Amino acid sequence: MKWRSEDMDLYLQSTEYVDTAIVPLIPIAWGNQLKHTVLKGEFPLIVSEELERQLKGRVVLFPTLSYLTSESDVDIISRLLALKDELSENGIPHIVFVSSDARWSDVDELRADLINIPPVPLEHMEDEYRRDVIGEQVKHLLQIVTKKWQNTKLGE
Amino acid sequence: MAKKDDVSRRQFLNYTLTGVGGFMAAGMLLPMVRFAIDPIMKEGAKQDMVPVVEVSKVTEKPQRFTFEIEQKDGWYESKVTQAAWVYKDKNGDIVALSPICKHLGCTVDWAASPAHPNQFYCPCHGGRYEKDGTNIKGTPPLAPLDVYKKEVKDGKLYLGQAVPQ
Repeated sequence: MKWRSEDMDLYLQSTEYVDTAIVPLIPIAWGNQLKHTVLKGEFPLIVSEELERQLKGRVVLFPTLSYLTSESDVDIISRLLALKDELSENGIPHIVFVSSDARWSDVDELRADLINIPPVPLEHMEDEYRRDVIGEQVKHLLQIVTKKWQNTKLGE
Repeated sequence: MAKKDDVSRRQFLNYTLTGVGGFMAAGMLLPMVRFAIDPIMKEGAKQDMVPVVEVSKVTEKPQRFTFEIEQKDGWYESKVTQAAWVYKDKNGDIVALSPICKHLGCTVDWAASPAHPNQFYCPCHGGRYEKDGTNIKGTPPLAPLDVYKKEVKDGKLYLGQAVPQ
């Protein structure tokens, strides 16, 4: 489900079937390495959108969580954990942060909930190849997410 | 006196006036009629058939093929990738099923559950469907998978809208 009122109606009718939030993490900076920064946000967003399409009935794609690259690690991590708490208190036990920022690849507090994917520049790719690259990455994420689910059967 | 074939002045004026008047009436009425039936014409052209795959590539085992359609979402037009599970049934007829689970809209996969190798399986809530798209009782979905409208032309499979079975 997407972050739309229409989809939230669907959610409210079937809360017992939905247990996972997908949150793309997007770094923001203006100035040095602008393009590189954008790239690190663009790819996780595209992959998250595709993941939502495949798992529409059990996940909610949240608005992206963005942070300034100059913000401190502690601040950002506490924001992410606050969101996680907010959700788990309200019926969404699983949260998946999708990021291409190597900064988070080795943070203990996030290890269980963060999927790090290498950023791939899609801009000059041919359509078909681009679809393959995204498809592969989505498949990888699907495996991780369904593994998370294995121990929880919903709506039964 | 006027001969039989001759046209009198009165008749000539009558003819011309009816003719010109008719043209004017048509000129006014036609746009109105067009406005009135426009919605019907638009719906007819809602979705065209899109070439998806060569028929020779379709096997008895369901394969996933993707194709692109134009989608209008309010004012926003975009290309959307759609997928179909395509196979040949026992009679050699081609079947194209929509991969969208009828439960809550996840994407189903063929033989993704090791326990059920000959069924479509939904990773979200364990919904299952027979090869022909029939939902299996006891799993969450309450309806069979949608079927794409299909057409074979010049050795290629064209797919249109997905319709409920």
